[in-house]
Amino acid sequence: MSNKNKTYNRKKVVVLFFFCAVTFFLLFVRLIDLMIFQSGYYTDKSTQLHERERSIKAARGRILDRNGIVLADNKTVCTISVIHSQIEDKEAVISFLSRKLELSEDFVRKRVEKYSSMERIRSNVPKELGDEIREADLPGVKVDEDYKRYYPYDALASKVLGFTGGDNQGIIGLEVIYDEVLSGEEGTILTLTDAAGIELEAASEHRKEPVPGNDLVISMDYNIQSYATQLAKQVMATKEADRVSLIVMNPQNGEIMAMVDVPEFNLNEPYTLTPEYEALRAKEEARKQAAKEAKAARNAGEESAEETEPEKPKSEEELRQEKLNGMWRNGCINDTYEPGSTFKVITAAAALETGCVTLSDTFSCPGFIVVDDRRIRCHKVGGHGAEDFTKGICNSCNPVFVTLGLRVGADRYYDCLKQFGLLERTGVDLPGEAGTIMHQKDAIGNVELATMSFGQSFQITPLQLATTVSSLVNGGRRITPHLAVKAVDEKGTQVESFEKQSGRQIVSEETSETMQMLLEKVVSEGGGSKAQIEGYSIGGKTATSQTLPRGSGRYIASFVGFSPADDPEVLALVVIHSPQGTYYGGQIAAPVIRQLFENVLPYLEK
Amino acid sequence: MATRFRTVQGGARQSNNETYFDYSLLFTVLFLIGFGLMMIYSSSSYKANLDYDDSAYFLKKQLQAAVLGIAGMIIVSRIPYHFWEKLAVPAYIVSAALIPLVLTPLGYSSHGARRWIRILGISLQPAEVAKLGMVIFLACLVCKMGRRIRSTKGLIALMIPPGVIAVMVWKITQNMSSAIIILGIAMLMIFVASPDYKRFIVMAILGISGAALIVFAIVKVAESPELTEKLGFRGLRILAWLNPEAYADDKGFQTLQALYAIGSGGIFGKGLGESIQKLGFLPEAQNDMIFSIICEELGLFGAVAVILLFLLLIWRCMIIANNAPDLFGALLVVGVMGHLAIQVILNIAVCTSVIPNTGISLPFISYGGSSVMFLLVEIGIVLNVGRSIRLKDL
Repeated sequence: MSNKNKTYNRKKVVVLFFFCAVTFFLLFVRLIDLMIFQSGYYTDKSTQLHERERSIKAARGRILDRNGIVLADNKTVCTISVIHSQIEDKEAVISFLSRKLELSEDFVRKRVEKYSSMERIRSNVPKELGDEIREADLPGVKVDEDYKRYYPYDALASKVLGFTGGDNQGIIGLEVIYDEVLSGEEGTILTLTDAAGIELEAASEHRKEPVPGNDLVISMDYNIQSYATQLAKQVMATKEADRVSLIVMNPQNGEIMAMVDVPEFNLNEPYTLTPEYEALRAKEEARKQAAKEAKAARNAGEESAEETEPEKPKSEEELRQEKLNGMWRNGCINDTYEPGSTFKVITAAAALETGCVTLSDTFSCPGFIVVDDRRIRCHKVGGHGAEDFTKGICNSCNPVFVTLGLRVGADRYYDCLKQFGLLERTGVDLPGEAGTIMHQKDAIGNVELATMSFGQSFQITPLQLATTVSSLVNGGRRITPHLAVKAVDEKGTQVESFEKQSGRQIVSEETSETMQMLLEKVVSEGGGSKAQIEGYSIGGKTATSQTLPRGSGRYIASFVGFSPADDPEVLALVVIHSPQGTYYGGQIAAPVIRQLFENVLPYLEK
Repeated sequence: MATRFRTVQGGARQSNNETYFDYSLLFTVLFLIGFGLMMIYSSSSYKANLDYDDSAYFLKKQLQAAVLGIAGMIIVSRIPYHFWEKLAVPAYIVSAALIPLVLTPLGYSSHGARRWIRILGISLQPAEVAKLGMVIFLACLVCKMGRRIRSTKGLIALMIPPGVIAVMVWKITQNMSSAIIILGIAMLMIFVASPDYKRFIVMAILGISGAALIVFAIVKVAESPELTEKLGFRGLRILAWLNPEAYADDKGFQTLQALYAIGSGGIFGKGLGESIQKLGFLPEAQNDMIFSIICEELGLFGAVAVILLFLLLIWRCMIIANNAPDLFGALLVVGVMGHLAIQVILNIAVCTSVIPNTGISLPFISYGGSSVMFLLVEIGIVLNVGRSIRLKDL
């Protein structure tokens, strides 16, 4: 063929080729930019996209009593999940899991058939069952191990220890306050995943090991706590009381050896309402209803101006939560009460410290005392007659203490309460401590002062009373009640100490010694005689106060005791709410402390 | 360097008629097909396993198409290319006629676009047919026009047939990228056929400034949010191209994922089969975005090797075109060369986010039966043009 293409055609093809070549070169430059200079940026971005962070729970630290007995522990439990895309035999998985986990087939089927990267079937499965399921080796079934909080003694010290929630965080009690110490640091596993979030088996893992939490050693003594719980339960049963609180502490340094508030609850099932609490709740409801009816009957004749607003009906959920909160309440610190005669210890100490009374002062009790226009009765209707100060405290004579209160005067009395630390919280290492409910300083008239002198018209927590009495008889140093002693790591090495510094001097040592002597007399010769134990010197004070509001016909019997009287090593307070039958503190509360001391004192000597 | 084999036909006596066969072109194409199959398997096995329970699903389908295509290539390479001259008009008519068929029951949709038809159990994209038909028709038309091509009128007349096809592809099958490719091939062929430069330079400048103006207008519109909604997906794609990270959840997603793949490949890549982006992160990993996976697995070196292979292919086309016995043969080769070059450039440019995202496959490598079959047939034509070169003319 002769008509060869014209030169310009050939030239243009070459131009076209070079045009393509130049464009290719520009794309090559772009690739160099992307794959060398921007490579780091895009690699990071894609790694962020591909890596999934999976956390590894850290083992939560245990809680140990003073002798190393484990009060809160961890148990390995398993979580069973299914990975949709890896399941081979769906029916086999459904029937196997529903059989092993005792779940309905429908429940399992719904989860197995759900298209998701991972679906949880059941958590908190015992380790043995989890192992069994793992050994069956069904494709698509995943068994993950996890820790679960476990309390070996169920209800023991439930309100003190507290429990943890699903994320291993403390909900109440020590578990909350020392959450940081106990929780440790979560570890993480970084794995490469595909777009559906499924881990790539071949990919290497970046692993950051979890740091287990530290163990918390507390001053509680398992044996004392158990025995105290037993005593509290016993007196609650025999006296058909609503609640019984019992605190045992070391008055020298504030370490709490036992803190009981029955009815307690099972820490391993904190969301199950106990029958005891349900019964108590029903009792309270009935009382409330009766009070309302009585009030309605009173108002029936008159034109009642104020319509009692009907309470908003609570939802099932709210009601349940309210009940749970009630069950979890620690009456020793979360609730206040009128201390009654045990508070005379404070009045006596205030009078001694301010020099308003000496042991040789004499008083006369006609069975009442008139303050301003009020006639305040003594509990002994006929009166105690002539008595000296020691006798007065042994008799727990109201006119004597009213006289003392008036001698000290409102200002100084209030200042004493402040100095004793009664107006502040004790600072115990438990959550939700209630504050003292007290008159304003300038609102204290003679009548108020008189009632305060024998422990009425204000409220404190049982722990506040135990702490203040401890501080008055331990040589006069204000202590901070506490449970935590130290945090130790896995190897048992101490990593943190929670020892409390002894606080300020609140009364002189002489006053403190006088108080020891006086309270010893109360037990040996006075109203606290039922707390006597042969061979031990015991000091103490009884109290019988009314449940507020007054006129309910219900009482609170209490007793605070300590031993040895001249150098107290242990102090205990029992508060019995609404006992039936005999309700005098000296009759029913003092024997509880005696029984407690009978066992605890020899035990502590060892 | 390409090798030129002497194919001995009938011994030395006929040495005057000894012809040429471009083995380097053939082997480059076969290598690209093989490499493509490997990369399709690598990039699609995860998805194939998930969707079809068969990790080789895409590989098998592509292998079938490739075998068919190679058979077609061998047959076509033995058909003297002047045969196509007779078919030019029917080819154009068939190309045009097939396009509306996608709207009939013969057509079917995939990936939300109705671009395929199925005839006798074979599915194909009319746009692919149109590319080949256009090349043949236009080559024939240029030869028929002779010197008239030099006038502006002639040029405009030449542009009408490809323009009609392009508009049909764009409007009927909603496939703007194929329309652009068809127009681009036509422009390159006309460029080669015409002795003129000025008009083409003016057209190129007008085209580029027009595109720049559109981008500028869209960016301006996007400044007010209520108007952005009216932009439609093409406008959004342009915005996503300018700032993929701002549209990471939507239009910019694929672009961004492609950039992650390319960027994380680095110089040497993660190794064959080690891509993570293909595990469901990068949509169409085995298709339009396969170049990103090549970059991720084989690194800059692998990517450059692929680009050089395509350059080699285009270079061989240039050699054949320039030695073709006549203008018709040369224009056929230029058409195929333009087709290859445009698709390679646009595909890589999309993957590297140099231009806005649009669906263009990488010749011989991307998954797609119609595409690979028609490309192989086109290579068959080029090979036949090469065969017609007499060695004494070289």
